[in-house]
Amino acid sequence: MFELLIRSKKFLVGTTIVLAIILFGIVGPALTRDPLAYNPYNIAKPPSNDFPLGTGNFGEDELAQLCTGTRNSLMIGAIAGGLAMLIAVLVGGIGPYKGGLVDEIANAFTNVVMVFPMLPLLILLAAILEERSMILLALLIGLTSWPWAARCIRSQVLTLKERGFIDVARMSGMKDRKIVVAEIMPNMLAYIIIVFVVSLSIAVLTEAGLSMIGLGPDPSTSVTLGSMLYWVMNSTQAALPWDLWWCFIPPGLILTIFLVAVFIMHNGMDEVFNPRLRRV
Amino acid sequence: MKNPFSYPFVKFILKKGLFYLIVTFIALNFIFLIPRLMPGNPIDRMIPPGTTDEGRLKLKDELEKYFGLNKSRSEQYLNFWSNLLRGDLGYAVMPGYSFTPVVDAVMSKLPYTLVLVIPVLFIGFFLGNWIGARAAYAKGKKSDAVYYLSVIASQMPFYWFAMVLLFLLAVNARILPTGGTFSPRFIPGFDFASFKDALYHYILPFLTLLIITTGGWATGMRSMTLYELDAGYILYSRQLGFRNKKLMSYAERNAILPQFTGLNINLNNLIGMTMILEIVFRWDGIGLLTLTAIQSRDYFMMLGTFILTMVVVVLGNFLVDVAYAFLDPRIRTGTGG
Repeated sequence: MFELLIRSKKFLVGTTIVLAIILFGIVGPALTRDPLAYNPYNIAKPPSNDFPLGTGNFGEDELAQLCTGTRNSLMIGAIAGGLAMLIAVLVGGIGPYKGGLVDEIANAFTNVVMVFPMLPLLILLAAILEERSMILLALLIGLTSWPWAARCIRSQVLTLKERGFIDVARMSGMKDRKIVVAEIMPNMLAYIIIVFVVSLSIAVLTEAGLSMIGLGPDPSTSVTLGSMLYWVMNSTQAALPWDLWWCFIPPGLILTIFLVAVFIMHNGMDEVFNPRLRRV
Repeated sequence: MKNPFSYPFVKFILKKGLFYLIVTFIALNFIFLIPRLMPGNPIDRMIPPGTTDEGRLKLKDELEKYFGLNKSRSEQYLNFWSNLLRGDLGYAVMPGYSFTPVVDAVMSKLPYTLVLVIPVLFIGFFLGNWIGARAAYAKGKKSDAVYYLSVIASQMPFYWFAMVLLFLLAVNARILPTGGTFSPRFIPGFDFASFKDALYHYILPFLTLLIITTGGWATGMRSMTLYELDAGYILYSRQLGFRNKKLMSYAERNAILPQFTGLNINLNNLIGMTMILEIVFRWDGIGLLTLTAIQSRDYFMMLGTFILTMVVVVLGNFLVDVAYAFLDPRIRTGTGG
């Protein structure tokens, strides 16, 4: 399966960009200044040699903010995506495997949650919890974003079930747990990883949106891509917040590149698993 | 006469209606539970800082009595439902609303949100699918360019795209306003001047939403059409010598059906997106209302806006399903499917 994936150009390009951005988030913060350093002599200055991406409302280095923000946003995304995946595998995986009533209940539950307007719900939950840490926000996003992943996992398990080898394993007297570990999981692994990465990217997008309107973690202590946008929206240094273009273009650009790369990677994988789509 | 419940169409709609009633019931129960299960007490936050300990306790007692929180949980639950069924969502305590009923306050803002959501839902759907189908049929560089453009349009963070458009068109080019629903110092009324002024402020939020949704539909439709163009019936018809135009209409008709099922999810996303965009553009809809309610800690208003958003979403989903039942011949006639 991995050999097939590597042959897809879309998958390769997408994966490379995603990995590059993750690397940027890991290495960047170690090479840049303190992202929260207050500097009254350099408030809201456009890019210069000393500050390649300029400075913000409090004279903080925007490049340092971008590196740390990318790292923190990816961390929030990973926790949220991980939780969403865990729920998705439980709800979407066990249902079709067990079949019957369990499947009906799990599927109905997913369908019900899918109708909920998730962003308004998330806004409400975040507003009620006034003390929000990065982890708490990540858990909230994870708890509200699993239905899509559950659906993907469910359809994948259903197609796996159609293929004979699971029946063969069952007939040969394998225990349920062993079938899941030895037969289903290896076939699901690549799929689960991609669904996780997509969930992660959606969580990063949601986090930045929530933080931007002031419902993320405390923007004065935790730097995320969304908190950078928050300080642009609530700028005290410019007549119009949009004048501080060096403060909001880079975080959005990184988000866009990341999301597009994840989409292309996902699309490339779809074409591999679904050969009729490959004819482009 | 035939029993009306035996029609597959009626059956489908009843089933969907029941499903959405269950969804609403679960969601409303959830609304009851959220403030009661979550850490932190809203009552504590309503007490102004600087109150003495004695006054604090007294005020807390009074407020709990006022909101009925001194009663047992089961009584609170019954009260919650009786208030809801009477359409009573409490009174707004935030500044500028001076105890107007929450329902009235939200209803007065709802049109501003729907005027963005509904046109974008339909125009985005038709425009996106039209572009996507053509992109599937075009070959080579043109097809690739449309693909990457629509992927970027659909994947870019909508709130950031709004900021970029504001920066380019409102701050630099100065051709569109930087936000608001009406110009400052403009007194809106029911006349042409107000309509023109609102329209002028409407363009940017509308364009932002439309470009993002159109991109999403176009990417989806392109791959659905590609999938159909490779199907046996198209290959066979081509061998028979059907015209390209005819083949395309066959492929499109089959490709668009699954797209309709995406309308539900698109509606849910659109409502959330609109709420956040309203904050960026200071557009006077329920998103901005929610944020003001959150900032002034008005719990009635926060829960009220969510409940009414929920009702709108559920109703919209139901209408989309009814429309789908009309369009899908399998449901309309009850054969196959």
